[in-house]
Amino acid sequence: MSIPLVPQLLRSHLRELADNDQRLDSRAQFEGRDVDVEVGILANAEGSARVRMGDTIVLAGVKFQTMTPYPDRPNEGGLMCMAEVRPVSGRQHEAGPPSAESIELSRVVDRGIRESGCIDTSDLCIIPGEKAWQVILDLFAVSDDGNLFDAFALAGITALRNATIPQEKFELGEDRPLVVSKTPIMCSYQRVGGRFIFDANGREELGGDERIHITLGDDNHVHSLQKGLKGAFTAAEFTELMEEARKKGEELRNMVHALEGGN
Amino acid sequence: MGYGDVEMIDANGIRNDGRKAGDVRPISIELGVVPVADGSCRMRWGTNDVIAAIYGPMEAHPRKIQRQDRAVLDVRYNMAPFSTSDRIRPGFNRRSREISKVTAEALESVVMLELYPRSKIRVEIEIICAEAGTRCVGLTAASVALAHAGIPMTDLVVSVASGKINDVVVCDLNKAEDNYGEADLPMGVLPNTGELVFLQMDGDLSPEEFQEAWDYNMNAAMVIHEYCVEALKTGRYPQ
Repeated sequence: MSIPLVPQLLRSHLRELADNDQRLDSRAQFEGRDVDVEVGILANAEGSARVRMGDTIVLAGVKFQTMTPYPDRPNEGGLMCMAEVRPVSGRQHEAGPPSAESIELSRVVDRGIRESGCIDTSDLCIIPGEKAWQVILDLFAVSDDGNLFDAFALAGITALRNATIPQEKFELGEDRPLVVSKTPIMCSYQRVGGRFIFDANGREELGGDERIHITLGDDNHVHSLQKGLKGAFTAAEFTELMEEARKKGEELRNMVHALEGGN
Repeated sequence: MGYGDVEMIDANGIRNDGRKAGDVRPISIELGVVPVADGSCRMRWGTNDVIAAIYGPMEAHPRKIQRQDRAVLDVRYNMAPFSTSDRIRPGFNRRSREISKVTAEALESVVMLELYPRSKIRVEIEIICAEAGTRCVGLTAASVALAHAGIPMTDLVVSVASGKINDVVVCDLNKAEDNYGEADLPMGVLPNTGELVFLQMDGDLSPEEFQEAWDYNMNAAMVIHEYCVEALKTGRYPQ
């Protein structure tokens, strides 16, 4: 089912549009869809967010478990990031074990958040060598109309920044906010009709080539990169995308901070 | 804590969430919540939050699952990992398999499958937030989503669970009542005929108590049916 019936027609249509600097939904080359973020929407999660970008809708939920620290890091807790693209989110998504695509999705989002150092894992220690908090970030696609990567990353960091460590429930004192010191933001680009565009929708993904995912931290440091799908890109193209990602990343970061009433 | 050890209804007949014995939790319904699907419905019922999405009718494959004279319903009930107090590990489990099966069989009783030979209709039920009675909310939401997708049906299916707490029969069990109550009777009712397409029960009910729980479910289903019809006419309930 994942093999589309008319990719060649779609591809040539996308090529024509690109040649005239146009897109299917009349966006500019590096223009994203409107982003709508809600926080605290899941009553049974310790932190949560819903992100909507066009017809792409995702949820993020944060849960906490206690874990035994790893022997080489006895004073640290852990972060686990899991993405599920269940068949509810689209006709092309079939039931069954996680596909290679959804595993890649989950790992790329995980790396961006983890490597930014936004969560201080030593703050998650309860008893050194014995007990620590494990933060579990579950990402869930409700409706996939393209660019789940950016939607998941944005929902994920927003949910983490909104999370409370449920210490009371585990009889470990009073609840306290999870400290999240940074706001890594992912921006994804895909070659469609020969040129890179930002925030591809479902049809652009279907008729597109390689994609590049860039996660930048608050100080514009790079925290994760991923090139996916078949295709080759030039250094000049990449430089342009990095520049675009810095601009867009700052915009989205400010939006996340504004949700929290700060910055 | 075990059966009957928790006080869930006071001397005045008021339950721990402020309801009287026959009251249903607040319900809201929204259609089109999965824009890429052919039909979809979000149903919030108490703190339950459930999404049902429909894809199809579409080609049934592999061919061995095809039926020459009718469509097949492919129903999946799943709880999101963050839907409960303790995280649920993703993947199949026996409980969700059973609920998927009985939900499919309930819906097969109303969907006019014979109109779509050799095809498949996918029904995806996702529990986003669970409070108790998720199978009932899921089944009701799925029937509304099927109607939203324009799939011909003989009736909606409205499902409610009544039960017994501290020896009192009550309608639409909440989480504490489901956990510590003495009985649970979920039913799926066809509002236009009063027939049942879904029935389960566990616990302990006398014949009189059973009749009372049954009547609660029937009456609640008729009320909830009105909400569903309103949502299908206007896209949401309440307005």
